[in-house]
Amino acid sequence: MAENAKKTVLVVDDEADVRNFLKAALIEAGFNVILAEDGNIALDQVKKQIPDLISLDLVMPQKSGAKFYRELSKNKEWKKIPVIIVTGHARDDLGKSDLKELTMSGPGIYLEKPVKPANYIAAIKKILGMDTTEEEKETAEMVELQNDLKNIIDDADPETLKKLKELMNNKKK
Amino acid sequence: MIFQELFHQVPFNVAVIDRDYNIVEANRNFTEYFGDWKNKKCYAVYKKLKKPCKDCPSVEVFKKGKPIVADAVGIDQQGRKTHYVGHIFPMRIKKGGRVEYALEMTRTVTETDRWQQEYQILFDRVPCYITVIGEDYRIVRANEAFRNNFGDVLGQHCYKVYKRRKNKCPNCPAAKTFRDGRVHHSTQLGMGKRGQDIHYAVSTSPLMRGSDSVAHVIEISNDITALKKLEHEVIEAERLGAVGQTVAGLAHSIKNILMGLEGGKYIVSLGLDKNDKEMINEGWEMLERNFEKTTSLVKDFLSFSKGRLPKLKMIKPDLLVQEIVDLYKDIASQSGIKLESVIDDNIKRAPLDPDGIHTCLTNLVSNAIDACLMGEQKGTEVIIKVSEGQNKLIFEVSDNGSGIDYEIKKKIFTTFFTTKGGEGTGLGLLTTRKIVQEHGGKILVDSQKGSGARFRMEFPRKRLTELYKKAKE
Repeated sequence: MAENAKKTVLVVDDEADVRNFLKAALIEAGFNVILAEDGNIALDQVKKQIPDLISLDLVMPQKSGAKFYRELSKNKEWKKIPVIIVTGHARDDLGKSDLKELTMSGPGIYLEKPVKPANYIAAIKKILGMDTTEEEKETAEMVELQNDLKNIIDDADPETLKKLKELMNNKKK
Repeated sequence: MIFQELFHQVPFNVAVIDRDYNIVEANRNFTEYFGDWKNKKCYAVYKKLKKPCKDCPSVEVFKKGKPIVADAVGIDQQGRKTHYVGHIFPMRIKKGGRVEYALEMTRTVTETDRWQQEYQILFDRVPCYITVIGEDYRIVRANEAFRNNFGDVLGQHCYKVYKRRKNKCPNCPAAKTFRDGRVHHSTQLGMGKRGQDIHYAVSTSPLMRGSDSVAHVIEISNDITALKKLEHEVIEAERLGAVGQTVAGLAHSIKNILMGLEGGKYIVSLGLDKNDKEMINEGWEMLERNFEKTTSLVKDFLSFSKGRLPKLKMIKPDLLVQEIVDLYKDIASQSGIKLESVIDDNIKRAPLDPDGIHTCLTNLVSNAIDACLMGEQKGTEVIIKVSEGQNKLIFEVSDNGSGIDYEIKKKIFTTFFTTKGGEGTGLGLLTTRKIVQEHGGKILVDSQKGSGARFRMEFPRKRLTELYKKAKE
């Protein structure tokens, strides 16, 4: 990691375990880490120091991820900060509409909890355009493909789903 | 002279006829109504006929010498058909002699008849069932809508007709009206003439005899069968929706726990790689916490899915409130929060599930305390209030803590929603709502961010009583 200047990631999540987990993974990968437990605190942190990337949860007390993101978008400087969404609510009523709004307007990548540290780091490095090992590159590409597929599957009609299943089953054999 | 005036003033059409149908005298009213009568036969004047009527009532009077009452249809001087009722009296010249004249006092009833017909049509055609029942619960009148659904039932007992019962229904609203002379309402399940279920909402209203006793009761019922069916479908749809939500919520909770386990595992292995004992400890604690979370999730989940009917007991609602205050007093005061109860003087006993309501109040009060801790203001307080509303028992838990964001408010009763990070399972308010609904009540929330929250549980007394009765059966 030495060739990369140390980048700073702001991790916003209301669950302490998740914050600590992501923090450990990020530090291990050579990042500086700032923590925030909701949108309000995150906003204070951004005011103090503009991070290189924000890792954002969606459903939180006080200020939700979507609200926080809207505030970010209002500021010219903040608007440029890349955001990766890490959520457990990607496919339920609590997060779906927020996620749709966010992926339409800005951050393209989201990860669904539970995340694996390798996937998380690979996705972040890709967004930041950092040097990655072959393995990391592959992982990042795979995460992206998996996400694309998830979206396709979510929107697919039953006929397409059937075909897709057949296709994947054949490949297994 | 006085008698002459009286003759003209009486509110009847008065005529005197002789045995040959000649009108020999008539008053002013009669003249105004039927026109000129002098030197005319009665049938010509009353009915514009050329020969005597077949069923002339006066002939009876001449023959039998006794007064009679008769009704007839005639034609007035404008040529309009007119109904009238006549009292006909025999007049003799000599006492004990033959009847020489008949005194006919008639009153037109055309208007009354028309009204009667109108009322009959109204009575029959209104789109609800109307019956009039006597003190012996026999039906003395029934309108067409009723007859169409329940058959021709005059003289039968109402309970037999409505419900095929052999004796009076318990909780009969008509019985109450007979007793207290007031209007009563209730909803009932009856049986139509083809054996079909008919749900109806019935109102009973008294028909008084004199001023103090009820002679008859009018029962007006609306068929709400279609409405009941819709209600049932909605409940069923909601239930299915809830199952879906529950499964999605369960998946989410498990995902969160998995995330914690994943994290713990990762940190432990990092610690092992680096031989960092502190890190191993941190990871291990994370694993433990998330195993613990699994346990409490399963526990909450089981308590949520437990039994559908509340175990109702007649209890004093204020005692429940006192219990909760005692339970939380210390916790609250340690955090610098004032915990108070406000109890209305007129609180009556109510059939409630003590454990269920205890759970509800516990959830609401612990949420309120958390909200006070979350805000930064001082002088926070939590108030538990119990009062009697309009036929409702009302519990309220209010605080002046952090309040609830509008977006969060939309979600608080959805499955597994929690704002307490890792601390909650998100089942508290959901369980509370479930218990309240099982009591036939509803829970409402009133809050704005930054200005506290008020949760209100309303229990309609009527529903509680119905549930209690059902539970005892």
